[in-house]
Amino acid sequence: MSGPSFQYSRATNLRDALILASQPGTAFLAGGTDLLQLWKSGAIAPTAVVDISRLPLDHLEFLDGQLSLGSLARLSDVGSHPDVTRNHPLIASAILASASGQIRNMATLGGNLLQRTRCAYFRTEGLACNKRNPGSGCGALAGESRQAALFGASASCVATHASDLAVALAALDAEVEVFGGEGLRRFPLRDLYRLPAETPERDTHLTAGELITGIHVPNASRFVARSTYLKVRDRASFEPAVVSVAALLHVENGRIVEARLTAGGVAPLPWRLTRSEAVLVGRAPDAQAIAAAGDMAVEHARPLAHNGFKVALLRNAVIRALQTIGGQP
Amino acid sequence: MSPESSVSVSLKINGRDCEFSAPACDTLLDVLRDQVGMTGTKKGCDMGACGACTVLADGRRIKSCLALAASYDGRSITTIEGVGTTDNLHQLQAAFIRHDALQCGYCTPGQILSGLALLDEKPGDLEAIREGMSGNLCRCGAYPNIVAAIAELAGL
Amino acid sequence: MSSHPALRYEAALKVTGSAVYEAEVLAPGMLHAALVKAPIGCGDVLSVDTTQAADLPGFAAAVCYVDAETLQPSPATALIRERAIHFAGQPVALVTAGTLQAAREAARAVRVTAQARPAVTSLAQGYDESFAPAMVGRFPAETRRGDAARALTDADLVMRNRYDTAVNNHHPMEPHAVVCWWEDGKAVVHTSTQAIFGTRAMIAHAFQMAASDIRVVSRFLGGGFGCKGPLWWPWMFWAMLASKKTGRPVRLELTRAQMFTLVGRRQQTVQDLGLGFSADGRLTGIEHHALAQTSTHADYSDSTAVYSRVLYACPNVTTTHRLVRTNEPQPVPMRAPGTAPGTFALESAFDEAAERLGLDPVELRVRNFADHDQETGRPWSSNSLLECYRVGAERFGWSQRPAKGTATDGRWRIGWGMASTLYPAIRQACRVRVELTVDASLRVQCGTQDMGSGTYTALAQMAASSLGIPVSQVTVELGDTLLPEGPFSGGSQVTASLTPAAEMAMTRLRTRLANMAVTDERSPLAGQPVEGLEFRDATIRSRTGNVGESLTDVLARGAAEGLEAEGESVATQHQSLVASSMGYGAVLVEVGVDAELGEIRVRRVCGAFAAGHILNPLLAKSQYVGGLIGGIGMALHERTATDLASGQIVGDSFADYPIPVHADMPEFDIAMIEEEDPHLPGGVKGIGMLGTAGIQAAIANAVYHATGKRIRSLPIQIESIIE
Repeated sequence: MSGPSFQYSRATNLRDALILASQPGTAFLAGGTDLLQLWKSGAIAPTAVVDISRLPLDHLEFLDGQLSLGSLARLSDVGSHPDVTRNHPLIASAILASASGQIRNMATLGGNLLQRTRCAYFRTEGLACNKRNPGSGCGALAGESRQAALFGASASCVATHASDLAVALAALDAEVEVFGGEGLRRFPLRDLYRLPAETPERDTHLTAGELITGIHVPNASRFVARSTYLKVRDRASFEPAVVSVAALLHVENGRIVEARLTAGGVAPLPWRLTRSEAVLVGRAPDAQAIAAAGDMAVEHARPLAHNGFKVALLRNAVIRALQTIGGQP
Repeated sequence: MSPESSVSVSLKINGRDCEFSAPACDTLLDVLRDQVGMTGTKKGCDMGACGACTVLADGRRIKSCLALAASYDGRSITTIEGVGTTDNLHQLQAAFIRHDALQCGYCTPGQILSGLALLDEKPGDLEAIREGMSGNLCRCGAYPNIVAAIAELAGL
Repeated sequence: MSSHPALRYEAALKVTGSAVYEAEVLAPGMLHAALVKAPIGCGDVLSVDTTQAADLPGFAAAVCYVDAETLQPSPATALIRERAIHFAGQPVALVTAGTLQAAREAARAVRVTAQARPAVTSLAQGYDESFAPAMVGRFPAETRRGDAARALTDADLVMRNRYDTAVNNHHPMEPHAVVCWWEDGKAVVHTSTQAIFGTRAMIAHAFQMAASDIRVVSRFLGGGFGCKGPLWWPWMFWAMLASKKTGRPVRLELTRAQMFTLVGRRQQTVQDLGLGFSADGRLTGIEHHALAQTSTHADYSDSTAVYSRVLYACPNVTTTHRLVRTNEPQPVPMRAPGTAPGTFALESAFDEAAERLGLDPVELRVRNFADHDQETGRPWSSNSLLECYRVGAERFGWSQRPAKGTATDGRWRIGWGMASTLYPAIRQACRVRVELTVDASLRVQCGTQDMGSGTYTALAQMAASSLGIPVSQVTVELGDTLLPEGPFSGGSQVTASLTPAAEMAMTRLRTRLANMAVTDERSPLAGQPVEGLEFRDATIRSRTGNVGESLTDVLARGAAEGLEAEGESVATQHQSLVASSMGYGAVLVEVGVDAELGEIRVRRVCGAFAAGHILNPLLAKSQYVGGLIGGIGMALHERTATDLASGQIVGDSFADYPIPVHADMPEFDIAMIEEEDPHLPGGVKGIGMLGTAGIQAAIANAVYHATGKRIRSLPIQIESIIE
């Protein structure tokens, strides 16, 4: 399979990358694991590809509890790094639950965050998809909607985001660092993604030519003892989440001081369950509190014809994740 | 570097230096099979799912159908042809034969390259092998025997 | 006949990547091909304009219906000769170019105009237009024995339920491919096919050529499962036409996406099954009605309800098969055709009946054992199904089955379930040639295929043991129409077909060698009775006396140029069979179900199979396990979905069509029960498809046992468990 031919260049530094990417129709190539699939399936047709994979942005630093990651660090290296497994088990779990060993060796953090939806309507030429082909309709809406979002969707697009890492980072209040025409800027990961609304063709708030250069994760040591990434799949491995939940608890004297809950597989971006978090604070992590958090998680879910089961599944997954980490001393 | 439609790529393939010119959009898999003529690495789906195209790049297992050849310029690649020959089989290849870890054979080179890389990660038990190998699909159903062959080499 | 776990003959080639699959054949000057899709899912092609494509660099030639009009009309050429578009994704042209990328660019540049017609894109849309084919394969589509309607009315226990099975695709790991060229008007076709002689015959018919002017080669097949057959031929013919047009070799390889539409599928079924039982658990009536999807250009029905006629003893049986034509791809047999969907219904229903009757599920099967083929009245040539139940239950520990819904393991609710499986044992005609050289090396030749099924090994083993030489001294050649005609690879028939032909060839060879020795006064065996000789350790020796002579000595003296022999066998003569032959099995599974998250995992499987004589237990076990894994995929993961609006497949990739992975694997325990069957040559039955039926129902039954949820549609997924 393949799309139309494209030209290739390799960026020697960030400025160079920006200049090369200023040509319309240019795409960045990092690990290439999503780019090549998208190109081969006809979802995208870049005229040129700028290879940024050799830029020196693969650092991993753990300092004063803060984790700084270069956007070009490979998933496998980050997922097995002792600073990550020890201090951010949530990130390690999310990474190890992603894709397959070979893909994790190739894929970069930045590329993983920027992956396009796995919705089959997006990835198949000829099917109605406003994200790929604005104005052509949304085939999933009245068609095969098993994978569709429960939250944040619109009449134009019901696609979900498939990154496990994004779910974990969103729960951790991570920030991304972006390099663009104005230089470097830094903002919360949650502000990276857009909801589809009427313009689903744009997944993120990045402007053309902007590049994610780093990810910063604040101190999460208070959560280390109670942290889990629960990923529900149809088969046992190598599949995006049907539903996933990243859960972190900070418990002191038997009471929840702070809770973080983010859901994957249910929205166009990682879905932070702020109301579920709020209902847990101050309470003991007991069955009633946990059930309340589960109920809150699905309160405003809007299922379609084939994904109604995800409502109960999300509720149960939130409960299961909290049960897993709630009970430890 | 200005954008080019055709690129010049140098690879060390199984220890041997190779240089060739290829279209910018050619994958490592296409270059191996069609340009270099090494057909041991297989094209099962060309979309990064089946793993039949697995090779080692600087010792790490990758899916060569998702690897743009130009992006791998200067790298060291190991393919099935570099693992062993019929007269001089690698231990893992011999174990595959003994355990009948293959049927049609099409996924086999990818399973072997992937297994070699996994062995370097020192899997702790059979479940770790199964999970670690899940990027390599087999339709004939040789999975249990493949795991047995890898487990034998892992000392499990 | 002996049984020996000989290592797979061609394993060293496969583990080193040196086995050449036919797409990998080098042909100087070869052009690459790409297919052009119709822009609609139902209608007619009006024009195919290649002018833009022809301007692109590297373009060589294009072919479409205009070029195909030179071919003879037939089902194999219909899709390329006619302008009708039957399904979304149907190719309407093939282009060739110097590189694959150039071919694909050229394909994108071809302008096709078409006139659309209203499409039927699901079976449900066509219920009212269903029709009954006359036959389903070699069986009548509709049968009546006794009065099932009356029996169900009068039964102590009657159950009627509907069962649904989804569309599946075969997806062998090797995509279909052809490398073809013409030499002075003769065709050389290297292609991935399960039937080299069938392919040759169709080429001869289509191109109006003598078969002897066509060579078809398929030495290593990267899987087939039923899809490397007739539906591939149209696209292969276009490649051949393009090769003729350009005077250059052409290679066409299908993409994985194209394998969802162009080469067949397991048809969707909707089955209505009624069973009537007496209070003591005996079947009194079966009504099994199967409805399935077929295309608008060909009719195909799986033998879905056929096996309900014979698996159990029942005096009143009515079965029907009906089809609905839709603008979707054509179905074909897929591993365990008929038995897979049919046993899903029957074995699920049996499980329900067992509970209602208060009987153990295995006991219910035992009580309804059919001691002969009740449909034809023939005895079984052998039937060890009762032994399968006994051995399977014992090995699985079935007597320790926990009460429904009580066993747990952490988050998993544990359930146990079982089912029967079966597959007919038939043979095709076959010829085998053997050539022995003066150094006692043996070459065995047969124009059949090995798709991982162990054909190379079976022949090597049979020949080696027959002559008493090591397998390392045997060379096997398959997959070439220059060789003696062998069977197609399907129906689990190859080993059974080869066995009598190979035995005959070897017997003839041995007889000549023996006679050479005993009639030669220079031989130590001179004057010995031929019947008293045996072939062992590369020598011919007397069984009783202490005399012998090496094969090489016998040959050096009497046949320095070597010896040849041929053997042949005939296909099963269905009309004149004295006994009916089936392979059988009992499949028992343990599943874990997470009732809150809906995840289902198969934890262990025991398959106790009785399929005659097992030639090679190592390879046979691989076949059985492979079959069971295929069945797990059908039960829990696989469903090909169609977008109703466009008729296109939604999710035509391995990412969206999840076949089982390593991490899905349960523990497998396989018992192979030896059977002696005097009616079958070598006592050999087919085994490749026994594992792929029965297990679906066993899993559904186990899920019920774990959760109390009775699921009657496949695949069973998370939403089947959670509302």
